[in-house]
Amino acid sequence: MSGPWTVEILARNGEVLHRHRAASLPIRVGRAYDNDFVLDDEYAAAHHAVIEQGPDGGLLMRDLGTRNGLNHGRKRVQQLVLGGDTVVRMGHTSLRVRAADFPVPAELLDRTMHGFEGVGPGVAGVLLTGLVALLVTWLFDAQPFELLNYVLAPAAGIGAALLWSSMWAFVNRLFGRYTRLGRHLFIFGCGMAALSGFQLLAAILAYAWSLESLTRYASHAAVATVAGVIYFHLATIKPPLRRRLRAICAVAAVLASSLVLIVNQQRHGRVADELYMAVLLPPELRASPDATVAEYMADVEAMRKELDAEREAQPAGGGN
Amino acid sequence: MKRTAAAILLCCLATGAATAPSDQAARPPRVTSSPATAPAPPPHLPPSAPPGTTPPAPAPGEIDAQDALPPPSSAAQDLYASARGDLLQIRMLLKNGRTQSTVGSGFLVGTGNLVVTNYHVVSQMALDPDVYTAEYVDTDGNSGPVELMAVDVLHDLAVLRVDRSGSGFFKVPERPARLTQGQRLYSLGNPLDLGFAISEGAYNGVVTRSFYDQLMFGGPINSGMSGGPSVTGNGTVAGVNVSKRRDGESVSFLVPVKYVQELLRRVAAQPAPPRDFNPLIAAQLLEHQRAMVDRLLEEPLAIKSMGPYLVPVRESGQLRCWGRSNVKAETAYTLDAMSCAMESAIYVSSSQQTGHVSMTHQYVRSDNLARLPFAALASRLFGTAQLGSAGDQRLTKPVCTERFVHTRTLPLRAVTCVRAYRKFEGLYNFTLLTASTNAAESSLQSRLDVSGVSYENGMRVTRAFLGSFGRNLRRPAAVPAPAAAPAREKKP
Repeated sequence: MSGPWTVEILARNGEVLHRHRAASLPIRVGRAYDNDFVLDDEYAAAHHAVIEQGPDGGLLMRDLGTRNGLNHGRKRVQQLVLGGDTVVRMGHTSLRVRAADFPVPAELLDRTMHGFEGVGPGVAGVLLTGLVALLVTWLFDAQPFELLNYVLAPAAGIGAALLWSSMWAFVNRLFGRYTRLGRHLFIFGCGMAALSGFQLLAAILAYAWSLESLTRYASHAAVATVAGVIYFHLATIKPPLRRRLRAICAVAAVLASSLVLIVNQQRHGRVADELYMAVLLPPELRASPDATVAEYMADVEAMRKELDAEREAQPAGGGN
Repeated sequence: MKRTAAAILLCCLATGAATAPSDQAARPPRVTSSPATAPAPPPHLPPSAPPGTTPPAPAPGEIDAQDALPPPSSAAQDLYASARGDLLQIRMLLKNGRTQSTVGSGFLVGTGNLVVTNYHVVSQMALDPDVYTAEYVDTDGNSGPVELMAVDVLHDLAVLRVDRSGSGFFKVPERPARLTQGQRLYSLGNPLDLGFAISEGAYNGVVTRSFYDQLMFGGPINSGMSGGPSVTGNGTVAGVNVSKRRDGESVSFLVPVKYVQELLRRVAAQPAPPRDFNPLIAAQLLEHQRAMVDRLLEEPLAIKSMGPYLVPVRESGQLRCWGRSNVKAETAYTLDAMSCAMESAIYVSSSQQTGHVSMTHQYVRSDNLARLPFAALASRLFGTAQLGSAGDQRLTKPVCTERFVHTRTLPLRAVTCVRAYRKFEGLYNFTLLTASTNAAESSLQSRLDVSGVSYENGMRVTRAFLGSFGRNLRRPAAVPAPAAAPAREKKP
């Protein structure tokens, strides 16, 4: 272990706030200006501690008889052997000392596409949002053509995109180093496109092959999409934490889906979003065959058992 | 001088303020004394006949001058004088606290101790005897307990037993008296819980609009008079007051006396009053639905054409059809609708009516909407069907079947939802929703509601209705139909 030594002041989350290099031992630490390392902490003494060579050759930090003392972990100590990862708190300041030969981990592989930052993805996201808004307006427009509607809808969509993405950019600036507004806009645009695209696709598939459960539980796909969007926003802010963020978003999505199920059950007495599939599409989009009236009536007959069981389940008299 | 003027002015204001509240206090408590609420009829029914007893009390000043009774003739005076001993008010009371929940009228038959009234006056006691009880109050203010002997839900009649005997004024003849149109009838009862009253009007024949015959009476019948008798000048009962048209003037209805006779005969035959009326009511409702469905399906449903589609309807004395269209509306599509519904339903309780059939057809088309927006519009229209609240404790939650079905000539998307009655075993509400799937630029969406039927009959009606859809094959489906919808009726 050899010098020079680096004293690092840490934030509560472990981030380094300030570094100071000391060429030789001992290093005197305190608030007074004759120290080697000057602390800006009202809770530290003028001459708080000294870091010196220990008897075994390691670093030793010693309390110089202060009121608040040295703290390691949750315990107050009089003196302490310092390794490269030992964090000592004095007053409100946490610090650690590392020798010049302290090993650092290998560099991370950079997967960020640096070309896809800024204006490019931003414009793509805004365009995507505008197009989705236009498509939805066109799809649900049953009034005679009104140009204003087709201007207002994309404007509103883009406004929402900017608002949402600025919020994420702000958070990004707080916790990451950059705003990355373009990226966040792109994520929002893709999210909206996925959201509406999936609903449309689910409706078409459900109609084509009589897969009613696709529309019946469509809200869960929406929940998953929203969770995905939030994951990508978070991963843009903190790329190294991807795995943990993925788990958090998955748990949040499961919670939200269960909430949807519970609310449906409470409000409508069923876990599905709707009682029956209301989708009607042009005849070319259908692949499943028609049943005969007799087959259909057999299905209706089959419901009787379930209804009678339901009637028996709760005794009459709970009514009125 | 100025001061005295001001003092006089102040004095005037003070006396005004002092007398105003005493005015309030002097007003009789009648306005607040009828807490019962009348049920809102289902939306497809015309605003007729509140089968409820007493509506919410009108606010002060809101009392309608038209409801005031015309001055009675001397015949009415004599009649009331001799009838008052046999005229009763029937009050439903909550067992807890004995506060009244609804009020109606009734009359002692002959010299016996039986009282005839409406079922809807005593429905709470019949359905929930644990919660409700009843008492009578006579014209002198004496009251006593009543015992429910029999109910006839279909004709809205009930028979009670009391601890006193009639004077024999109200005669229920063995064979109904012959009435001639225009003949004067006197209707007695306790309107709006204000006090006993008599009103006169003309007999106007038998109405066949409701499923069971009723007599039309050209005099005022108000809530609270329900269950009171309508008699000829000599005290022979012609009918029992039952309802009025809310949208009409003095258009009221009576239950013909022959049903009273039948019910009295049934009471005479039964050894003891039934303990639980729910199974009896269920049996009567089952009997009603049998007759209703048999009559509905006694001949094949009529087929009308809507654009390129052929739709089943039934138009009869009981099932009336109405049409409407949005031709002038600011939309990019045209919608023609036709709906047929029975004008009356069977009253079970203030929150439940049953034994009803209605069918609706909507034909939507558009020349200037693209295929996908039109599909989205059709989906929205198809998805708005209301099937009642799931929290409704009287019915189970709906169970549905949905499939693509092909009738003889028309492919359809069909959804059937059924709910079972919790209190009445064997009764169900059926709803069938259909939407045509043959064309991308037009859509026929229909709805059939049959309430209070057995499972077999619900299936029968559903099958008959579903099987009757078809296409006008002479006309290619792609050609939009003329804007004028067929089978549109004139509103009166």
